[in-house]
Amino acid sequence: MSEAILEAQAADTLPGFDELLFEAIQSEAQPEVLKRKRAEAFSDYIQIATPTNRDEEWRRTDPALFPITEVKRLATLPQLDALPARPADEDFDVVIAVQADGFAIMRNNDTPEKLGITIGSLAEAAEQQPELVEQYLQGKALPAKSGKFEAFNDAFWNVGFFVHIPDNVEWEKGLLIRYNITQPDSLLVPRLVVVAGRNSRAVMAEHLESADDIRFIAVPERELYVDESANFKLVSLQEWGAQSYQITNDWGLVQRDANLNWITLNFGTTRSKMKFGSDVAGPGSAADMDGIFFASGDQHMDQRTLQIHSSPDTYSRLLYKGAVKDVGRSVYQGLIIARPGAIRVDAYQTNNNLVLDNGARADSIPGLLIDADDLKCSHGSTIGNLDPEQLFYLRSRGLDEETARRALILGFFEEVIDRIPQAFIREIVHRNIEAKMES
Amino acid sequence: MSDTQTYFEIRNLHAETEGIPILKGVDLSIKQGETHALMGPNGSGKSTLANVIMGHPAYEVTDGEIIFMGQNVLELDPEERAQAGLFLAFQYPVAIPGVSVAKFLKSAHDACHPELKSKSSEFLKELRENIKYLEVDDSFINRYLNDGFSGGEKKRMEILQMLTLKPKFAVMDETDSGLDIDALKVVSKGVNKLAGPNFGLLVITHYERILRYIHPDHLHILIEGKIVHSGGPELVKKLEESGYDWVREQFGQEVLVG
Ligand SMILES: Nc1ncnc2c1ncn2[C@@H]1O[C@H](COP(=O)(O)OP(=O)(O)OP(=O)(O)O)[C@@H](O)[C@H]1O
Ligand SMILES: [Mg+2]
Repeated sequence: MSEAILEAQAADTLPGFDELLFEAIQSEAQPEVLKRKRAEAFSDYIQIATPTNRDEEWRRTDPALFPITEVKRLATLPQLDALPARPADEDFDVVIAVQADGFAIMRNNDTPEKLGITIGSLAEAAEQQPELVEQYLQGKALPAKSGKFEAFNDAFWNVGFFVHIPDNVEWEKGLLIRYNITQPDSLLVPRLVVVAGRNSRAVMAEHLESADDIRFIAVPERELYVDESANFKLVSLQEWGAQSYQITNDWGLVQRDANLNWITLNFGTTRSKMKFGSDVAGPGSAADMDGIFFASGDQHMDQRTLQIHSSPDTYSRLLYKGAVKDVGRSVYQGLIIARPGAIRVDAYQTNNNLVLDNGARADSIPGLLIDADDLKCSHGSTIGNLDPEQLFYLRSRGLDEETARRALILGFFEEVIDRIPQAFIREIVHRNIEAKMES
Repeated sequence: MSDTQTYFEIRNLHAETEGIPILKGVDLSIKQGETHALMGPNGSGKSTLANVIMGHPAYEVTDGEIIFMGQNVLELDPEERAQAGLFLAFQYPVAIPGVSVAKFLKSAHDACHPELKSKSSEFLKELRENIKYLEVDDSFINRYLNDGFSGGEKKRMEILQMLTLKPKFAVMDETDSGLDIDALKVVSKGVNKLAGPNFGLLVITHYERILRYIHPDHLHILIEGKIVHSGGPELVKKLEESGYDWVREQFGQEVLVG
């Protein structure tokens, strides 16, 4: 047998993320269902080829940029009683704080309990409601079989949360999950599963931070299940530190007449690869996806979005606004997919990019994959510097050039910022944009 | 007083864009408290002159000077010109999505009048008064600058900015074009609120209409980048009745040939 064939048959593992580590994880105490699911994922993981920059999806962001084999997976995070509170916590009913040495679920009141909402670690939820949890660990939100890093997440996750909002529940103040990692050379593999029951309404926010002076990698996966007629909003604010990396895979499955509104705000990391998709899977369902990204210094941000329409009479709208500065680099690749039979579909995809310096670069690659007719579909992207006419207009009213540029850049993002429901997040977004403009 | 002599003066102004000469020696002198009108056929360079006065980076001044209250305007950045008291009401104001009218007006006001830097509440009070005076909807100030504004709304917005910034010398570039009678009256009202001995105004227009409300002391005709003829307000009627052909014939010879 040739070497090539031998190689193909061997398990394809990332060095250090092999059988040995996996056995150690499996020997930890955990509910049966999670153990089983990890095992299934591990067997997928070793069979899926590790991507290289020859794969279309990784052509513009070489997987070799992510030093995953040089960091150490944090041991499965234990639950702590409490962690220090922050002022913004008060805006939510429940706050989950995550650090390298553990996480705490802090309840500001008993509203969730009264409403019958489940908020817990995956382990705790699987312990208490194994059947319910198992239903949502089938990867049904994923439009296709797992990729390498989805299987990686499902096998190696070291912190996981399960949120279940029962049918007909209106949850106004919602949940904040905030991460703050300070452990050098560590790997966090967070897994989040959220279920918004039929006709429920809820909001959730995430705030991701790590120290600037440590190397750190995150490989998160989020699955959102939005059941019939539900309305679910999630805002993810990513401010990982300057030497951090992330590879994300996020999926939303939206059932009949339901509405998913997902806002992603990306400012941190040195290298990031983000994949993000929604499937308006039931007739009459809708997905709104908004995003901001800003790559400054030598940051590299690569985002791929999918708007999948599996049913007729579905709607999706995506607006991603990005800026690149210094020698920052961004890649946006969007795809609208209308599956066979998905007629009377409205799908809109817009990606606008500001290129603020000559050394910076933004690539925008919109796309359509349509297997149905009778649909309204549009995608468009723009790449350019600030409009000199707008700049002149503001300066002619007395604003100095720097102030005018700042106003235009903030104004460029404002359309998305305006849609962020939480004031404290809007404030942090402003702060990030201003800091990047000043740097 | 020398100030009134050289309040605003343009001498032999030449300007070009992308190597194409547009202004070919403009001379214009406006005394303090005066209103002048500038007329001329489409493409003759009226807006270019307005933009050059304000420092638009698309135009290169190749000769001549602009002096305002003893200052060499051409040495100043656009913002410094605004801070010195110059104002341009644009012919085609651009929309700036994401920048709210109120916020913008406050920062523009504070930049032009650091000495009057007012508290937000006082500023808003005055802004509301001006808005009422210009018969503009209150919701205006929370909208994004010119974004989705109708033509008439944009023109009122320009005048609102003028009232807010209280310039010493303003150029209004076809602010009257496309306005209905009511809007025209409102715009004129706005201008006349500023009018006085400490204000100079250059009104660029194609129509006699606005000059019924804003009475110019002098009228100039710009053809192919040069002021070929100046006169009193009586010139307006003649231009409306017979167009520019007679001007070309009488005064444009040199331009047409040279
Ligand atoms: N930025 C520019 N780039 C190229 N050409 C320009 C530019 N600005 C003005 N021009 C040209 O210069 C000439 C004068 O234009 P300008 O806008 O000043 O005329 P105008 O007198 O204001 O006309 P109108 O009455 O139509 O407003 C025109 O031929 C125009 O095409
Ligand atoms: Mg013009």
